[in-house]
Amino acid sequence: MAKKRLQHTGVIRDYDMHSLPVRIGYAFIYVLCFIMVIFAVFPLIWVILAGFKDLKEFMSSTKIMPNAFNFGLFLKTWSQLDLAKNYLNSLISVAGSVVCALIFNGLLGYGLSILKPRGYKLVKRLVMLSLLVPATISIVPLFMNIQRLGMGNSFLPLWLSYGANAMYVVLFIQFFESLPQSMIEASRIDGCTPIQTFFHIVLPLSKPICAVVAIFAINAAWSDFLLPYLVLRGGPLQTVMVRLFVFSTEQTVNADTMMRSVVFSMIPPIILFILFQKQLTENSVSVGIKG
Amino acid sequence: MKKISIHKGRGKRTEAFKSWLIMLPGLVLMTFFVWEPLLESVRMSLYKTENVELVEFIGLKNFISVIGKTNFTQALINTFSYTFWSLIIGFLLPIVLAMLIGETVRGKGFFRTAAYLPNMLPGLAVIILWSAFFSGGESGVLNILLSKIGIPKQTYLTEANLVIPIIITVATWKGAGATALIYMAAMASVNTELYEAAAIDGANVWQRVIHILLPSIKKLAGTLLILQIISVFQIMYEPMVLTKGGPDNASLSLMQLMWQYAFGGSMDYGKASAVAVIVTAILLVMTAIYSYFNRKESDWD
Repeated sequence: MAKKRLQHTGVIRDYDMHSLPVRIGYAFIYVLCFIMVIFAVFPLIWVILAGFKDLKEFMSSTKIMPNAFNFGLFLKTWSQLDLAKNYLNSLISVAGSVVCALIFNGLLGYGLSILKPRGYKLVKRLVMLSLLVPATISIVPLFMNIQRLGMGNSFLPLWLSYGANAMYVVLFIQFFESLPQSMIEASRIDGCTPIQTFFHIVLPLSKPICAVVAIFAINAAWSDFLLPYLVLRGGPLQTVMVRLFVFSTEQTVNADTMMRSVVFSMIPPIILFILFQKQLTENSVSVGIKG
Repeated sequence: MKKISIHKGRGKRTEAFKSWLIMLPGLVLMTFFVWEPLLESVRMSLYKTENVELVEFIGLKNFISVIGKTNFTQALINTFSYTFWSLIIGFLLPIVLAMLIGETVRGKGFFRTAAYLPNMLPGLAVIILWSAFFSGGESGVLNILLSKIGIPKQTYLTEANLVIPIIITVATWKGAGATALIYMAAMASVNTELYEAAAIDGANVWQRVIHILLPSIKKLAGTLLILQIISVFQIMYEPMVLTKGGPDNASLSLMQLMWQYAFGGSMDYGKASAVAVIVTAILLVMTAIYSYFNRKESDWD
């Protein structure tokens, strides 16, 4: 690593580094980048440190560091709020959401990018338009529909809502369109039905996009709280985020307990981030541009 | 080639039928969760509602009653104010970050990762975290930090002039890094020979930024700008959790007003839908203006 000569790949080229002003500017770029890192990471570190403070210390201490690293406080919050139950609920909710996100959006994307039956263009345009439509804007009628069908206090509507995500459909479409069409055509000639082609040819080639959609869906489903709150509120199935939302709007817990709940709610996304940071930082790119 | 066309001709109709069958589950879900609720909210805005029932067609009365209240004017102004501040604080920052990180040679991966991290954290948790940051007492984190450089303690979230910029700052903290990565991808796709050629012609680093790098992201910046406006215009849970719309409605947003009508106790779904329809209409107009100018520009190109 150290032996490999690193080259400048940006606007600044290798030969620019001979000039003193450019070198000073370059050092300045690093200073700014490290400031950015501090800004990005400090609040996260702070909230973890704050979790080690009890209420009295949290409300009165004028120090960032806690007096002691007492893990007992975290354990106490965990058992007091019965967060294990909420964690389990969140996991069930996330698992079902990911499955729905992959199957339903994947099949729709397959139809719109490879099968292309007559009239598909209209549907594709509708999906593209839905990208621009804010999700929360129709939350009221959506909630009413769910109520009318008697699906309140159940994970089902939350799972299925991830099967109707225009962004994931577009991601699938873009990926499927980049697949070698000759292979798909060949399987068709060999007598495969569209659904066989999907499972035997398309799906095995699509692991990268499935991973990306799965990671996004896991994080989105974990962090989601508006629809889950409306569907699950008051019931036994509340997720971690729903609990947190209730805490924050009804102020039923103390500020220090709140900070520990925040930490608990961040642990799974952080684990996900550590495991998949490469996929995330590289693929956010294609999502963002098209989304 | 011939074989394919023969094959296609034979089973065309059944094949199309099967294709639609494959898409059917996805289409049903899209209809139920996205398309129908959108149309339904237009219909509902014209009705008097009682719980989940549409009781009586009342024309535009919901709209008149919603718009007539002072909190609507306030929320409309606030929402535009959110948008304005997000352009000031949140639009250029990702571009600058992308330029900075893009120039680094060592540690680029580390900087990218750090920049993206806040975007992964749950939005609600981020808001609660920052509310403690901006808390007005002596134990508020910002007050602790500022006291070190001698600035006396302030109250932040109760200052009518400060709440909106603060909420936008928090939203920017979460989103800017992820947006920067999008810009970085666009910047990385610039043909580096252009830089070499410009350098040979005597262009210094700054001139290369102005004449090569920035033009290369112009189109992307336009797209991200409109997406940013659309998303900030629907800002809702941030003020809901951070300030509850206060002080004195100074941070109340339109979508928050919608939530209040629907779920804030009165369960007036008709009026809530009226607010949603107004927001949608404003967004449609803005999108139309954008695509009009965008088209004109590409004609010129």
